[in-house]
Amino acid sequence: MARRPYDMLFKLLLIGDSGVGKTCILYRFSDDAFNTTFISTIGIDFKIKTIELKGKKIKLQIWDTAGQERFHTITTSYYRGAMGIMLVYDITNAKSFDNIAKWLRNIDEHASEDVVKMLLGNKCDMADRRVVSRERGEKIAQDHQIKFHETSAKLNVHVDTAFYDLAEAILAKMPESSDEHKNETVVPGQGQRQTGNGGCC
Amino acid sequence: MNNTKHMERLARIEEVLLIANKKIDIDELRASCSYGVPEQLRPIVWRLLLNYLPLERQKWKAHLAEQRENYNILIEQIIVEPGTQAMNQSINDHPLSDAPSSDWQAFFQDNKVLTQIDKDVRRLYPEIQFFQLLSKFPHLHGMKYPLSKRVVGEELNSQEFGTTRDGVIGVTKDSRSNSTDASAVMKSEFHWHIVERILFIYAKLNPGVQYVQGMNELVAPIYYVFASDSDEEWAEFAEADTFFCFQQLMSEVKDNFIKTLDNSICGIESLMSSFHTLINHFDEEVYKHLSTNLEIKPQFYAFRWLSLLLSQEFPLPDVITLWDSLFSDSKRFSLLPYVCLSMIELQREELLAGDFSFCVRLLQNYPFADIAKIVAFAQDIKDGIAPRRCSKDLSKSSKIVRHARQLSDTLKNLSIIKK
Repeated sequence: MARRPYDMLFKLLLIGDSGVGKTCILYRFSDDAFNTTFISTIGIDFKIKTIELKGKKIKLQIWDTAGQERFHTITTSYYRGAMGIMLVYDITNAKSFDNIAKWLRNIDEHASEDVVKMLLGNKCDMADRRVVSRERGEKIAQDHQIKFHETSAKLNVHVDTAFYDLAEAILAKMPESSDEHKNETVVPGQGQRQTGNGGCC
Repeated sequence: MNNTKHMERLARIEEVLLIANKKIDIDELRASCSYGVPEQLRPIVWRLLLNYLPLERQKWKAHLAEQRENYNILIEQIIVEPGTQAMNQSINDHPLSDAPSSDWQAFFQDNKVLTQIDKDVRRLYPEIQFFQLLSKFPHLHGMKYPLSKRVVGEELNSQEFGTTRDGVIGVTKDSRSNSTDASAVMKSEFHWHIVERILFIYAKLNPGVQYVQGMNELVAPIYYVFASDSDEEWAEFAEADTFFCFQQLMSEVKDNFIKTLDNSICGIESLMSSFHTLINHFDEEVYKHLSTNLEIKPQFYAFRWLSLLLSQEFPLPDVITLWDSLFSDSKRFSLLPYVCLSMIELQREELLAGDFSFCVRLLQNYPFADIAKIVAFAQDIKDGIAPRRCSKDLSKSSKIVRHARQLSDTLKNLSIIKK
């Protein structure tokens, strides 16, 4: 029998204003590296990473989008197929936070109803330039009942946590059809992921 | 590349450009440049191909002097005057004024565009150092009103890395925090400052387009070519000349950047769909594989390929060589889709054997390639010399590749089992 290299495929999407660090977050997660001089994303970009979650191999197909308004017609066409959407703002850029409402409306308009959303306040290493408090981020996430993390792609804070959290939430929403399979393979204590605690944020 | 052929072409281009020729034969120039232009002639050739320089040589001197002076005036009007006004703010007109005529409002409105430009010019071609270096020919008046300072609050303050599209090569200098200060001390400005000014002036003069991400990638190769001209009499005016050449180029491709035209006959969507049709026409098997089986839309890769004239797909020297050919196209940019098709064709066996992720990744990160080969094949397809792929024959050869791949996978699995 053909061996599948993964059990499930999750399509994720990264959206948010230009320059908030979407590409850096993705690069940190997929290649565990950081650089500040990524060229601007034009249209849509793509990375793959396979993770293990609850004993399952999950292939994450992550789409990185251009932030500038001009590209919205091109990027919103990918919302439909996405199972998870990460909406990123920059804690040092008030405008990028103000635009969250606009991005959320975009999701409502173009994504499927059961898409799992997550809000990320990136660049949390830059405390001296912070203009959006953690509380404001938490508040807006709570109001919309979505998960929230403050991240730093630069210092690798909560980036993995965010992706694993999102994947876990998608997995939890999956139909229970794979339960019997689960019973066979899951050993108590296995598949438990270490969650990063605290951090600088 | 064949060396004698190369020499022949060089001689042919030089002949067209001979000073004795009163009027340059543009058709002959295009024909002789379609496979590349020698470096020392490129700055002049691009100025001609982009319709900036008149074809009559005797008009050059006056034309250049006039245009360069016009550019100085633009700098005064668009950058210096508002900058001075902002500095000498009057009591009635302050940042919090609601008056619609407020100069401050206009100033802040501009800063929105500027913030975006600033973000992008700082990350221009990070794999080469050029844009982070000081210019030998700063604009002495313009540099006193550095645009990057106007949006300094938005700046990142972090360490820079020299990178390629895919990974980190090494740490360079901390240019974001230091470059602006250093340039003030050095009495010069960085090349990216100059590109920033060009883009800002363009945005101000073209409110219908303003600035769209990616335009930075179109202006950069032109500026690089002009500013690295070994003839300093020309290099000195790289900024002004780049501005006008960029304006010419944009007049031909700006529709791709205008959102409201996306679905019109001249917008990017129609360009992508005709490219799709072209693939289908030339190579049905690849088309079926990519489009029908894998559902890879041209938007996934061709949006960037077509709208940026492939400037993000190859290292800068290759982009420049490629643009020699694109600019030589008498009916611009009709060669471009054929170059894109040629890129696909040169990877067709890989693509046919690949799954969705493999193919998207390959198309979004095109492997290092011989640009001359890509262009030559593109010309052949365009001229009808390259025969259309007959799916029968080719399915055979791609089957072989697929079998080989399966075999190697099996071998890999075997070695895993052995362990």
